[in-house]
Formats: sequence, structure tokens, C-alpha cells
Amino acid sequence: MSDVNRLPAPFGRLIDRSETVSFDFEGRTISGFKGDTIASALCANDQWMISRSFKYHRPRGVLTMAGQDANTLVQLADEPNCLADKYPAKNGLKVKAQNYFGSFDNDMARVVELVHRFLPVGFYYKTFNEKKQSWSFWEPIVRAMTGLGAIDPKADFHESYYDKQYLFADVAVIGGGPAGLAAAQAAAEAGAEVILIEENVALGGSLGYARFDAEGVRASRQLGDFERVLAGTKGVEIMTGTICSGLFSDNWIPLIKGNRFYKLRAKSIVVATGSIEQPAVFRNNDLPGVIMASAAQRLIRLYGVRPGRKAVILAANDDAYGAALDLIDAGLTVAAIADLRPTVPQTPLVAAVAARGIEILAGHGISEALYSAKTHISGAVLAPVTGEGTLGGGGKSVACDLILMSVGFSPAGQLLHHAGAKFGYCRQSDMFQPVELPAKVHAAGSVNNVYDLGAVIADGKRAGLAAAKDAGLNVASVPAAITEKGNVGRTHPWPIFPHDRGFDFVDFDEDLKYHDLINGIADGYDNVELLKRYSTVGMGPSQGRHSAVTSVRIVSRETGVDIAGMSVTTQRPPYTPEKFGHLAGRVFDPGRRTAMHHRHLELGAQMMPAGVWWRPAYYGGKADRTNAIETEVKAVRENVGLIDVSTLGGLDVRGPDAAEFLNRMYTFSYTKQPIGRSRYVLMTDNAGVITDDGVACRFHDEHFYVTATTSGVDAVYRQMLFWNAQWRLDVDVANVTAALCGVNIAGPKSRQVLQKVCTDIDLSPEGFPYMGVKMGTVAGIPARLMRVGFVGELGYEIHVPAGFGEALWDELMEAGKPEGIRPFGVEAQRVLRLEKGHIIVSQDTDGLTNVWEADMPWALAKTKPFFVGGRSTEIMGKMKLARKLVGFTLKDSGDPCPEECHLVLKGEEIVGRITSAVKSPSVGKVVGLAYVHGDDSAPGTEFTIKVQGGRRITGVVTKYPFYDPENKRQEM
Amino acid sequence: MKVMNCPLNGPRNISEFAWGGEVKPMPDPATMGDKEWAAWLFLEANEAGLVREWWCHVPTSYWFIAERNNITDEIIKTYPATELFNTRVEFAAKAPSGSGEKK
Amino acid sequence: MNAINPTSLKRRSFIYRELVKLGAAFGEVNGAAVALNFGATREAELASARRLALADLSVLPHAGFKGRGTAEWLTAQGLSIGPDSNIAYGQAGGELAARLAPAEIFLLDSLAGSGALMQRLNSAWKWAEAAPRPQQGYPLPRQDSHGWFMLAGEFAPEMFSKMCGVDLRRDRFADGQIAQTSVAKMGAIIIRADRKVKYGRAHAAYHVLADIASAEYLWSCLLDAGEEFGIKPVGLTALRDLEQ
Repeated sequence: MSDVNRLPAPFGRLIDRSETVSFDFEGRTISGFKGDTIASALCANDQWMISRSFKYHRPRGVLTMAGQDANTLVQLADEPNCLADKYPAKNGLKVKAQNYFGSFDNDMARVVELVHRFLPVGFYYKTFNEKKQSWSFWEPIVRAMTGLGAIDPKADFHESYYDKQYLFADVAVIGGGPAGLAAAQAAAEAGAEVILIEENVALGGSLGYARFDAEGVRASRQLGDFERVLAGTKGVEIMTGTICSGLFSDNWIPLIKGNRFYKLRAKSIVVATGSIEQPAVFRNNDLPGVIMASAAQRLIRLYGVRPGRKAVILAANDDAYGAALDLIDAGLTVAAIADLRPTVPQTPLVAAVAARGIEILAGHGISEALYSAKTHISGAVLAPVTGEGTLGGGGKSVACDLILMSVGFSPAGQLLHHAGAKFGYCRQSDMFQPVELPAKVHAAGSVNNVYDLGAVIADGKRAGLAAAKDAGLNVASVPAAITEKGNVGRTHPWPIFPHDRGFDFVDFDEDLKYHDLINGIADGYDNVELLKRYSTVGMGPSQGRHSAVTSVRIVSRETGVDIAGMSVTTQRPPYTPEKFGHLAGRVFDPGRRTAMHHRHLELGAQMMPAGVWWRPAYYGGKADRTNAIETEVKAVRENVGLIDVSTLGGLDVRGPDAAEFLNRMYTFSYTKQPIGRSRYVLMTDNAGVITDDGVACRFHDEHFYVTATTSGVDAVYRQMLFWNAQWRLDVDVANVTAALCGVNIAGPKSRQVLQKVCTDIDLSPEGFPYMGVKMGTVAGIPARLMRVGFVGELGYEIHVPAGFGEALWDELMEAGKPEGIRPFGVEAQRVLRLEKGHIIVSQDTDGLTNVWEADMPWALAKTKPFFVGGRSTEIMGKMKLARKLVGFTLKDSGDPCPEECHLVLKGEEIVGRITSAVKSPSVGKVVGLAYVHGDDSAPGTEFTIKVQGGRRITGVVTKYPFYDPENKRQEM
Repeated sequence: MKVMNCPLNGPRNISEFAWGGEVKPMPDPATMGDKEWAAWLFLEANEAGLVREWWCHVPTSYWFIAERNNITDEIIKTYPATELFNTRVEFAAKAPSGSGEKK
Repeated sequence: MNAINPTSLKRRSFIYRELVKLGAAFGEVNGAAVALNFGATREAELASARRLALADLSVLPHAGFKGRGTAEWLTAQGLSIGPDSNIAYGQAGGELAARLAPAEIFLLDSLAGSGALMQRLNSAWKWAEAAPRPQQGYPLPRQDSHGWFMLAGEFAPEMFSKMCGVDLRRDRFADGQIAQTSVAKMGAIIIRADRKVKYGRAHAAYHVLADIASAEYLWSCLLDAGEEFGIKPVGLTALRDLEQ
């Protein structure tokens, strides 16, 4: 079999017959042309069944040919749930149908149909709500039977490059049909910068496939006119093949084209998304061969595919007759037209059809589609309409392999819903229509309930001018809203004909039949939103595009609530599924590196994240971690080590009020701090919670260089600006963290090394004492030097402009060679500081820790009038302490070292946790910090720690520093 | 995504901004009772309607004030903090009694 | 300027390794190595700079002042600074004084990179001695806080739109305008600074100033975003020659 259904040119405006493509479908080789979709190529090859349905595994084929239904979801090798009627046919694709067991043509699970009465509406609610244990029985069955495509973890996934881009426009026009084209043209002619977004590969919308006149020339002539005018109009950017997946605040418009996610910001929007042709309900209305009239026209005109050989048309409007003429032109036989209307108006299209001798049965419907082959229809039973939703008995069987449904439309209003538009029911047209639009959003064309082609174009022009005006362009006058809309008689109010033997589908995605909805309403879910959740109507991949209006009609009739007061269920973004790749885009993850980063790598450092920075954890192989850290600790304690401290926060606080400002921001007092000295800073927030610490170095009466923690500095800086926006002190704060990089050279031999490269500063203990700060040069580089004691040894912190950082590192490493200087990392630094009992804010404190719990009342200035958090600290000082941070060692030296966050117990009650613990190389035992119960904080008190595996060990509260308790070494 | 007009930088995506809480004047910490202080600290009016808030434009660390309607999600206006805070705030030195006064 | 190795000087660009890998030939400016060209012919680098090119200017002199009185003090020092923020004001020597806020100025040297203005200002600035203290602002270490790239060429605005949410197209973002915004999730300052040719013609160019510690990241992001437009690294020579 080959493409037996292919029509000759000029049918098939989207295909390029000079280039063939071939792909595999269920083991069959399918050949088509460039421009085909998977579905159009399958139909051309007479392969009508494309997938099976979700619940009953019924055969399904194309329904809309517009990517609006779930019938054509297929499985590709590396991607499930692809819309076969949108996905381009490409060489080498491996396409499989979805939802079948055994073989596609002979699905073993289709027997489910035979027992469908045992799968009632609300199956999940009824089965699992009270009998929860039954889930274990049903789960494997449900999981295997339902669901859509599969992700094959073994498939050969190719990495794809996804990215994002911002776009800007005065006016965004969504939808490239006649209304959108007219809107874009009008807005551009008014001087607006316009972006026109079309989901399909070509502009034109209905102009590309529909028939507006008996001669069949109006559409293509109109499209040609638009194309000519737009080509000569400045300021319209056309994006085809682009999905607009939502409308958000302030006209923020996500667009998906290929692997790129665009974020368009427009000043105003025209939504011209058209309408969705609606199905009729009758028995077997879901089988391959039953399609929308517009789908047949799309197959013929867009893809040059004959949709069948012999057709019956179910009609309720003039459009059906345009479709009939198209079928005849494409060489099909039209066996009969069953028109639901009691009398058929004699329009030019109807007259043209009648003139071709086609049988038109006024006041008739289809009661049932017949099938002989398992996978395609073979006839239709036509019967007279006897009332709303009822047909006369008997009926007449007509052999056919194609049934077209042309009974009405519903606005494609998803995007307007997203934007916050309100929809109401229009009695004249029996359709919903937008009745209230948000500011700067306009609707045009059939989404706005305007159908006559001339009116659609006029409506588009009106909306385009209104949008241009919204965008601030000079528009002399915006035409009034269209009144002659051509919307009456397009949509039948009740194209629903339930059948005694069922399979009269309301929702194809979820396999819901007419009586499923009736039963759901009878179960008490008599509101569309409730019924949706109970029955799952409208919850499948097509999101109610073909079922929402039908279910509203059914609920209205069953409950007696006037449809005019009802609305369809809420529609939310996205309009179609978005891939994770689109949402993730290209990942932007700006990690920060210090000037010495590459030197660490060259020295074999294991890098670790510290806030947004990368820092060396230790130097050496991962297998040698413990040994590497111990060696680094030993180097600092006994010799000399060098650590990169560039990531430490740095703030220059300058001005006449600098000291006053620090007094307010930190717990200590800074007014009398001498120039050339540093002082500890501890920050609390308004609630008295410790948020940061560091040192303030006074270089001038009006200049403090304040350090902050690596991860805290940005918040500290922001808080400082926040408070001074209120206090209005004469002080300037600059965040100079990245501008200055720094090292700490520490250890008994640090002075000896430093003095080789630092000759303009007296480094003697008298000239440069502990806690002293100085400016000078190191290796000729301008530097700020501080004698601080975080690791508890003689040491100097040296901060230099970042551009000199690598050279500074090189010079110090070179100068320290004779002494055996050794770089040390964050891990060794953590051990060293813990041996000294220095806390790390946010490791040893948490979101509740106050000054009293941290046992730091020594950091409070008693007499100053105010600091942030002071009042709360004062109040908490009067309260009983629930917990307290203490130093500890282990009672039994054979016990393992506890880990961070191991629990501290009092009896069986959790009262605290370990915040830091290490087997200290310098003191030869486990030392650490922990929160214990407030009553247990006296040195010598024992407490219980629950360690790995639930084991309990005993800790002993111990005074700290654990190492060099008299702090002699750092003051050498 | 919403757009917010930064008084310094003009209209920008809201993702460039950080929220800083409602503008609520701090009572005098020296004279305020413990309970009243805690109430000011932890209780928010959280009223529906017009709210006046601190916002920060993150790339420039610029703090300003925005008034918005939290029912309609409309930003009514934004302006520099100096429009509300234009004089230097002082805290009185602690008196021996422990009471102080904000000038 | 003779060919030099970036590590022979103590001041270094944070991305000198990337420049070396791309085949840069360096010359000395401001006590550091700057990439002069990347081995292509002069015409080829000029063509890249007109189409889309990225250059690292991080070691060229740049500086800043901030705090109450900044603009007044700089004006007294002979700079010409207009009243509006987020505008870069051109100076006599081809430098730019970018007014980031009413009391904050970011100074960029001309591409000649002599540093004369910055040196003069830095040595003129002193702590005021006594009351009544004149308001003067304070120097900022901008040379080292911000990496400095130039993105030149007609495709630059489109490329920016892949990583920045501000509309930088030439008819919406005028020469001299400043956007302080987020680029590739980093805070960044973008200044449009066209390279002017005779008769009012100009080549599109933008300064990009951003956290020096993420310079390698931003450099790679910009090259990646520009790939579809055929971006090339160019040296200082091509940027200078654009104005001839």
C-alpha cells in the first residue's frame, strides 16, 4: 500500500511533492511528502486508525487535523504523547500507537468494552473512597490499562539545547487567520510594532482550508490579498509554528517555537484564536472515519489527502455545504446530507450542493455509525429528528466510510480565560462569547463570536486599531463593535443524540459517554465544576475543547438551570503541554570564583560550594580526605598555612555617622573604637535573632571596613541600606566583597613569611598587635592587613584588589617555600575554629538563635540607646532559656564522633542538637558545639546524644576554647 | 510576570525586585511595653485593599516604596523612600530609669 | 606594545586563561595584559566587530565614586555630569561618567586606556579635614569589583534578548543610556556606547559591567548566546579601529 489517498495539486498547499519522506508506523513503512504531518501521511496511506482510546482501547483516528484532540497522540522512540496531526513527518521516525496490548489491530483489552457497565462514572471515588485497601488490588490493573504514552528509560535520548529569549512589541496579535491578519495590518498601519503569532506552519487560518463561496475562490483570493499587503507593511514580525501557551499579568506572553521559549512583553494584545468545531453526540461517534467537516477540508486543502471515498455529512449550518462541495471537488461521493434543521435555508452554498444532485435530508440526524471492519466505520443510520435530542425509530442505513460533523463551533477562548476575560452564553448564536475583557486585551473574529468573513475582517481591523491606541499610538478613531456578526445559525443548540446501546461519546479523551454524565449528575454532582472532577470530563489532554460545551448543555437540561447563567469550566495555562526543557531553558547558574580559583585547581583542591561561591574544601584526592585535612590543620598549628578568604563579605562604611550607624546595626559599641583596631560585630534582626557576624576594622575616624559571612553579606548590605533609608544618617555603605580578595596566612611562622614580602609595615607584636589593622603593601600590591584569630594562631588577613589576587597568592606561596607553607581549605578551617570554639552563624545558629542562647551576652553594649534587635534581646533576656549553645566533649573516648544535627535528648524529649563536632587533631579528642536544655548548660553536666543507628552516647558540657584556652598563640 | 516601575530604573520585570514588608513605623522601643513590642513585631494588619510596602530593586540594591491594591493586584504607584523618610532619626540616650525617647 | 604574557604582570583579568585559549595576543595597558587581537586579520576582526563580537576590557582603567556630594565634587574636578540617572555622560578625554544613581558615578576610561582621569581624581580625593565638612562622596574600588566586557556589532541587541529582560534594541535604548538589570541571572550594568565614525555614523556597541567573580561564567554565557549570530572574540585594536 502506498499513498493511495493522495490528491493531485493544487490540493495540498502545505506539502512539497518534490521531497518525499518515509517513516515507520507500527512496522509499516509510510511514505509522504515534506510538509506532511504524521497523521496526514498516515491518512494518505489509508492508515486511518492512529491510536486507541484511553479506557476502552477503542480505535481512534483523526478528528480535527488541528492538534486539538487526543485521538492522534502517538509514541515516538524518545517522546510520548506527540500530536500526530501537528508533528511533522520526518525521515526515520519510529511511530507507535498508544494504549493497546498485544497487537495494535487486535487489541486484547478491547474486551473492556464488553464490561463497560462495570466501570461506572466516578469509578475512583466509588471504589477507593471507602474501601481503601482495594487500591492494592486495582493499582496494577489501573496503572497498566490507563495513562498515555510511556517514557522508555532505555531509549536513546539525545541531548537537546533549549533556550529562552525575550521579545518586545507594541501589539501582539495571537492567531494568523483572517481576524488576526486584519488586526496586524491595521495596527501596523497605525504605526505599531506588531508581532503576529500563528500556531500552524502557515498563516491564513480558515482562509487556508475553508470554503466561503460556491465557486471556492474567495478564501485564496483573500489570503493572497493579505499576504501582498503584509509584505509591503512595515513593522509586522510574523512568527509561524509558534504556540502561545498563556496570557499573564501586564501582557506577559509565553511563546514556544521549536526548542526556544520566548517571553514576549506587549503593550496590548489582540486575541484572534478562532473557534473550535464541535462534535455531535451519537453512537460510535468516536470511531475512525467520523471527523469534523473542517478536518476533512484541512486534509484536502492543506495536505492533498482524500479523507475517504463515500461520505455522509451531519449538518446544522451553511459550512457543511461548503465542505460538501470540497468533497465533491476532491472526487468523493457524498451519499447524503442529514441536516438537523427542520428547513434548510436556500443559501448559495446549499443551492450549489443541491444543483449537484446531492440528497439533502432536512430535519434528520445520525443515530449510529456502523462498522464492519474492526477499525473503521462502514455506514451511518439516518433518522428523522423528533424532538430535542431524540430521533425517530427505524432509520435508513447508508453505506459510507466517512462521516463529517458540521454542527457548530465554540470560541477558542483559552487565552482570554487566562487573561481574566469573562464569558457568557449568547442566545442568538447558541455559543459562549467573551462579555468582559481585561484592559489592553482585545478579541477579534470567531473567538469574539463573529463568523461572517467580511465581519471577521472588519472586527480584526477594529481590534487592531484599538490595540494600537492602547499601545500609545495616535489612532484617529476606533470603529464601533461589529453588530452584524453572521453568528446566527452556525451552532446547533442540541446536537446530542444518546443511544440505548451507548458508546455515544461526549469526551473522547476520557472515554465518557452520555450516560456517564447523566449518572454523575444523578450522583449529586450537578454543577459543571463538580461534574468535571467527579467524571473527569474535560480533564484529558484536549482539556474539554470538544466536551465542555456539551457537558454544560447536559447539566443545564438535567438540572433545569438556564444555560445563559452558566459558564464552561475554568481554563488555566498552559494552552498546550510544555516540555520541561522549555521551562528550564538554558540553565543560568552564576557561580562565583575567587581570583585564586585556578591556583586551587592546579594544587588539586576539591572544590565545594559556599553560598554562591566555590571554595577549596581541602587539597588532595578524595580518598585521602581525612589525612589531607589533618595535615592542613597540623601545618597551621605548627608551621604556616595559607587560606583563600576572598569570599568573606566586605563592606566599606564611610561618613561622619559611620560609628553611629554601626552602633545601630550591631550589638557592640563602636563610637570609641580606636583607629587601627578591629572589633567583633554581631548582627541581630528585629526579633533578636542572630543573623551575621564579622569584624569592623577602623581605618579612619569615618571609615570602617566591616566583614560579613560569605553567605550573609548580600543580606547584610541590603539590610543596612534598608535601615538607613529610614534613619537618614550621613553614611555611605559600599559592598566591596568581590572587589577585594584576601588570604589568611596563619601559623607560628606566618610573621616570618610575611615580612619577606611586606616591608612597609612594622609586623612586630608591638607594632602590629592582635586585633590591629593596617594599610600597606604586600609584594608591592596595595593591601589592607588585619590581625585576627579565627583559627587561633598568629595570623594575618591580607585583602587586596581582586585583580591582584592571583599574584598575591603566588608571591606568598613563593615566599613561604623555605618554611614549607601549605594551602589549607574550608574543612581544615572549620576544625581549627571549632578547636577554638568560634561559632559559625547559620551553622551553629539557626533561625531562632538569640544572643542568650548562643551564650554571647558579652557582645552586647549595655548603655547605647538602640540597636536593631536590642529591644527583643532585652525582652528575651528576662525569659527562661529553653536551650543553650555549649561546648562539649564525650564521656567515653571510645564513642564515635557525633554528626551535625544528631539529636540531644533529655529523657526521651528532644531538647537540642549537635551543631558542629570533630575529632580534634590538636587536642586529641572529640570536641563540638551543641544545643542542650537550658538547665543542663553548666560545665560538667552530662547529656544524651542520639547518634547514627539510634545509639545513645553521653556528652559532657565543657568550657571552650578547647585549644589554647588562654588565647596566647593568636596573640604572639 | 508583572511589571513594576522602579523610581530609579523604570519599569522592570517583578523578578528584579525583592519584597521588604509593609511600611509600619517602629514604635519607640524604649517606652513600648514588652507585649506591645511583640505585637508590633509579629502581627501584620494583612488588610485587603491598598497596602504600602517596601520593595528593593535587587540589581541596584535600591529601596523604595510601592502602593498596591492586593485585591486587584494593581501597583498604584511607586516612589523614593525619601518621600516618607526625609529627616534624620535619633534615639535618645538611655536614661538611668531605662526609658528613652525617639525624637 | 610588545607581546606579553598575562602572568608577567601582577594585575590580571579574571578571564585571561580563556583569552589565552582563544589565541589572544596581549599588550600592556594599566599595568596588565589586554587582548589586542585574536590572530585574525585586521579586516576580519573589524568585520566581526561590526557583526557581533565580544571583548574583555576588564583591566582597562575604571573607577567610581559614591555618596552624598559625589556629583558636585566631580563637577568641581572638571567633569561634565548631567542631572539624570542611568545616563553615561561623555568626558573630554573620551571617558564616560555613568550616573548610576543621583549620588553614584561609575567612570570608564576611553579605549586608549591611559587612566589619566582616574589617576587625577584618585589623587585629588582626600578625607575632608574638619567641619563644616564638604560633601564629596567616596571612591569605590570599581576597577576590581566589576569585570568589563564590550559587546559590539549589529546583532548585539538581539543577542542580549536571550539573557536580559530589558529592551535594548537600538530604537528603544539610546546611545549613552544605562540599564542596571539582570543578565543571565547576574546583576549587571549595560551601557550603550556606540563607536562613532565620521558623518554621524556609528557602530553598535555596549559596555557590560558585572561581578568580577562571575566573569568567566558571564564570558561563556555571552559567547554561547552569540553563537547563532557567529560571535567572535575581538581585541582592543579592532574596537579602537571601529572609530576610524
